[in-house]
Amino acid sequence: MHRLLSPKILFTRTAVAAAMLALVLVLCSLIGSQKISLKGTLIGEHSSAVPNPDYEILVHIRIPRVLLAAIVGAALAAAGVTLQALLRNPLADPFILGISSGAGLGATLAVVAGLGWTLWGRSPVAVFAFAGAVGTVWLVWTIGRVTGKFHVTGLLLAGVVVNAFFSAIIMFLISIARGQQLHATMFWLMGNLGEEDFFALWVGGGCVLVGIAALYLLTPQLNAISFNPTDARSMGINVERVQFLAFVISAFITAVAVSLSGLIGFVGLVVPHAVRLLFGPDHRQLLPLSTLFGAMFLVVADTVARVIVAPAQLPVGVVTAMVGGPFFLVLLVRYNRKVSWLR
Amino acid sequence: MNPSVQMQNVCFAYDRGRPVLRDISLTIPGGSFLAVIGPNGAGKSTLINLIAGLLVPRSGTVSIGGTTVRSYRPADLARKIALVRQEYVPVFGFSVAEMVLMARTAYYGPLGFEGEADRQHAIRALEMTGTAEFASRPLASLSAGERQRVFIARALAQDTPILLMDEPTTFLDIRHQVRIYDLLKTIQVNESRTIIAITQDVNLAAQYCDQALLLRPASSMETPTQQRQTASSPCQYRIGPVRDILTAEHIEEAFGVNVFSGRVGHRHFFLPLGRMAKDAISDSTPPANEQG
Repeated sequence: MHRLLSPKILFTRTAVAAAMLALVLVLCSLIGSQKISLKGTLIGEHSSAVPNPDYEILVHIRIPRVLLAAIVGAALAAAGVTLQALLRNPLADPFILGISSGAGLGATLAVVAGLGWTLWGRSPVAVFAFAGAVGTVWLVWTIGRVTGKFHVTGLLLAGVVVNAFFSAIIMFLISIARGQQLHATMFWLMGNLGEEDFFALWVGGGCVLVGIAALYLLTPQLNAISFNPTDARSMGINVERVQFLAFVISAFITAVAVSLSGLIGFVGLVVPHAVRLLFGPDHRQLLPLSTLFGAMFLVVADTVARVIVAPAQLPVGVVTAMVGGPFFLVLLVRYNRKVSWLR
Repeated sequence: MNPSVQMQNVCFAYDRGRPVLRDISLTIPGGSFLAVIGPNGAGKSTLINLIAGLLVPRSGTVSIGGTTVRSYRPADLARKIALVRQEYVPVFGFSVAEMVLMARTAYYGPLGFEGEADRQHAIRALEMTGTAEFASRPLASLSAGERQRVFIARALAQDTPILLMDEPTTFLDIRHQVRIYDLLKTIQVNESRTIIAITQDVNLAAQYCDQALLLRPASSMETPTQQRQTASSPCQYRIGPVRDILTAEHIEEAFGVNVFSGRVGHRHFFLPLGRMAKDAISDSTPPANEQG
């Protein structure tokens, strides 16, 4: 039997993708509206007695921003892979079950209410977005369960309805918001990366990494479940438990990502798709590679968002959709012979 | 060594619906090839799903080798029973080899990869079913007959003493039907596995199977004059050696059609003849439960 995924192939491909990500991280942290030189930064914090501006920009602005993009991209892509497998639907993405509107509602509420406190260094917008995301997932899951044991159609319908309802409330809040609030809300809803402190990066990055590692342990079972859940059960897989764990973990990392960055679309849909078209549907490979390519994709997209209209900045969600859409179409046309769901 | 399958007073109904299976008690000896035959809605798939542990009986017990199905952990039950169903809804483009190897998922190591033993089981299953030549092709590119053999290969790769088949020859031409039955018979004899197959083909069942289970819809038993659950109420099923169960009389009773029965060699064959058939049986008094 040839062309089967082996640990060796998986390790090699993952290592190459990780090296590519490292390169992208370095390059993108050197690119920006303010020119900095690698040589200048290597001098260190101080050149003679004056603070070194190159070093300041790199360490306190660029690196946190690039790392944030990588964390968010990785989380969204990994959650996208998982939800596509669980719902057995290549059109699924991390936001399909209403998590986006829940987080959006939380964020909009926080902005419109003009809250000024912080929780462990996090702004009320982030805290409310996280709470909104988690609450919505719980709501959709509960409604979905009423329609039967992990009934995919029931879950999707619950997601669509909750999405529509919360979007209406968001629209209402926006229509009564004042100018400055309006701008902040719109940027958040379009997906926007800012400069986060290292503490937030550590916590967020840690949560996402642990979540993705846990998801990896479920990938052999996800293969069988994405093929057919009933068959998977008769092969001795505890389908209900795997579905529940995968759903909860992917919702959690999505909520973390969303609370850090707002609603960045397209990463969770396009990246898993592109990786599947190039490397096949095996989730043991799809999850790690999508994670790494998702991180790369968002880092590059955010770099574009930072520099293209400098000194102003675009919301990164605009870039991901504008770059991701055409790129995805090219892939689809070139590789459609490889995938069976198009038949 | 090959465990038997037992059902004891099994009753089943979906949600609050009418009973589908009523008081079924039977023993399927290890190593036998049982055909499950009956009209649509008689509960054939329900019966298979009860044995596979995918459904739980309302009352009564289903056991394998003396242990009730409900007390098995999923991974342990998967070492006893493999299931081949008709449902096939491809979403992602897995290859034949990837799909067959999925049968071993429950045995994968901590890294989530198959071991050498798993690979050997899969290779053997592919070779036995004659599907090794297209192991690397995507499943969606196969013909219906090839695909059915791949699904049987996956069940074989699971390496279980019992194989359940839900209509393994639906949609296949007669050449491929015969090929599947030859394959199943080979598996039964050479590997001494138990095969329980739902089929609509009475004639192939008569040629290949040792035992037959003839099921009638539970609802057809409910006539107003008869009292339910009494000793006199007719049984929903007949089970026994093929030659005793598959007779023209029993088939007419179960399906409510006229049947012509002839002989090839030692076995009977059956030809259903409707009223408008060219050779319709002349003294056509309509069978008793045609209106049912």
